[in-house]
Amino acid sequence: MSSSLGPAWKTIAEAQKIQLSETSIQRLEAIARTMLGLRGMIDWSEEPAQVFTATPPTEKPVE
Amino acid sequence: MTVLEAAAALRQKRVSSVELTLACLERIEKLNPTLNAFITVTAGLALEQARQADGERAGGLDRGPLHGIPVAHKDLFCTKDVLTTSGSRIFSSYVPNFDAACVWRLRQAGAVMLGKTNLHEHAYGITSTNPHYGAVRNPWDPQRIPGGSSGGSAVAVATGMALAATGSDTGGSIRVPASYCGLTGLKPTFGRVSKFGALPLGFSLDHVGPLTRTVRDAAAVLQVLAGYDPRDACSVNRPVPDYMPPAAGISLQGLKIGLPENFFFEKLDPQVDHAVHFLAYTAQDLGAELVDVRLPGGHQLNVIAQVTLLAEAASVHEPYIRRRRKEYGGDVATLIDMGRLIPATDYIQAQRLRRRIQGVYLDILAKVDCLLVPATPIVAPHIGQAEVAVGGQVEDTRLASTRLVRGFNALGLPVLALPAGFSQGGLPMGCQLVGRPFDEGLLLRIGAALEDRTGLTARTPPL
Repeated sequence: MSSSLGPAWKTIAEAQKIQLSETSIQRLEAIARTMLGLRGMIDWSEEPAQVFTATPPTEKPVE
Repeated sequence: MTVLEAAAALRQKRVSSVELTLACLERIEKLNPTLNAFITVTAGLALEQARQADGERAGGLDRGPLHGIPVAHKDLFCTKDVLTTSGSRIFSSYVPNFDAACVWRLRQAGAVMLGKTNLHEHAYGITSTNPHYGAVRNPWDPQRIPGGSSGGSAVAVATGMALAATGSDTGGSIRVPASYCGLTGLKPTFGRVSKFGALPLGFSLDHVGPLTRTVRDAAAVLQVLAGYDPRDACSVNRPVPDYMPPAAGISLQGLKIGLPENFFFEKLDPQVDHAVHFLAYTAQDLGAELVDVRLPGGHQLNVIAQVTLLAEAASVHEPYIRRRRKEYGGDVATLIDMGRLIPATDYIQAQRLRRRIQGVYLDILAKVDCLLVPATPIVAPHIGQAEVAVGGQVEDTRLASTRLVRGFNALGLPVLALPAGFSQGGLPMGCQLVGRPFDEGLLLRIGAALEDRTGLTARTPPL
């Protein structure tokens, strides 16, 4: 059974020719529910790309 | 014998590296058929390296405390001209032409390689019940799992088949086996130890570190492993301090140790709860101040780490799972399948949340020097045991085993796992000291103080 707010895991899996057990579907549903709830913790004023900012390589190793 | 005891014996010429290596090889020959800790034993190479170490010592060259010490490597670290399977059929005939950074560094320090240790397939799981190379068995009770994925490394060290071993930790894979086998395991800060040559699982979660009998042994191995490596994009370029704690008489005066009020002491085997609290009071007795802290939701952090790992591992294995699916064990194939379905939005939000929660943890760690929490809520489960009753609830064994360790991979913080006590049934129970980034030295000092006081490392498996 899919969560009303989350993706229809079984349909998505079938579209990708992936067979999922009921336990796996339940686990994905639980993860999706928690992730949905966690949206409230996101700092929406943050520039998301900062998370993936590339750091320039260091010139010389210390050691 | 510990690494430092063996190093002292080598320096005083009471023993040779060849003798130490032969003793380990004899233990492997005797115990490995039952415990299945090794996939490959490199006896000839080990003796050649041991003879070289003895020759160097005789010539006046001392490479440090690991010179001539027999060690084992988890079989996902690439070893030049030596089979590196990752516990899988996919890599069952892979012989690299280079050494992983951790293998190379230990070799440069004069360590002797005994062989490659068994693990959970592709390091993607915590049981070390490997479908291709057989189940690794816990030396405290061979009917139980040793934990994983670095199960073979842990068993090798716990039984004296090796004096130290390398491990990797993506969701607890050093700390869970340390807890279930009564060892010290260190997950260093992300970037402290190079991942170069470690077959990846979750590239933003993978950590490389030691499994040892004692805290000071872990310090000795970390001293060799730590350092910048331009071949690992995540490696951090900062000086490596002296990690070795004082030999004795460590005071914890002036240190604040945080004990979480939430999550970490919920749903525990009461024996684990008592053991970790006993350790906290021991720290207090040594001068530390215990401080109650409230942490961000542990369950939520675990989900963030799970989403990250499911997606990253699916990405790593995508080239193989599509064409060689039948060569994967059932549990690992299922996890990869689940990862292929994780929405991109969830992965990206998980990275944003991860950074947010890391900020909260750093604020807390500005007020206390470290956190003290249990490593696993239970003792080692039986091989094949799918569920476990803990805290009045039935829980998936794998999820229970990783519940208290997984989140710290997402945060990249250093964590030292060490023995906290033994259950009434004689099984080890472990705890974790969690520190500020790059503060491994302080964790090792606190760990050594606790180890000196409790004497828990003196106990060995009843073989």
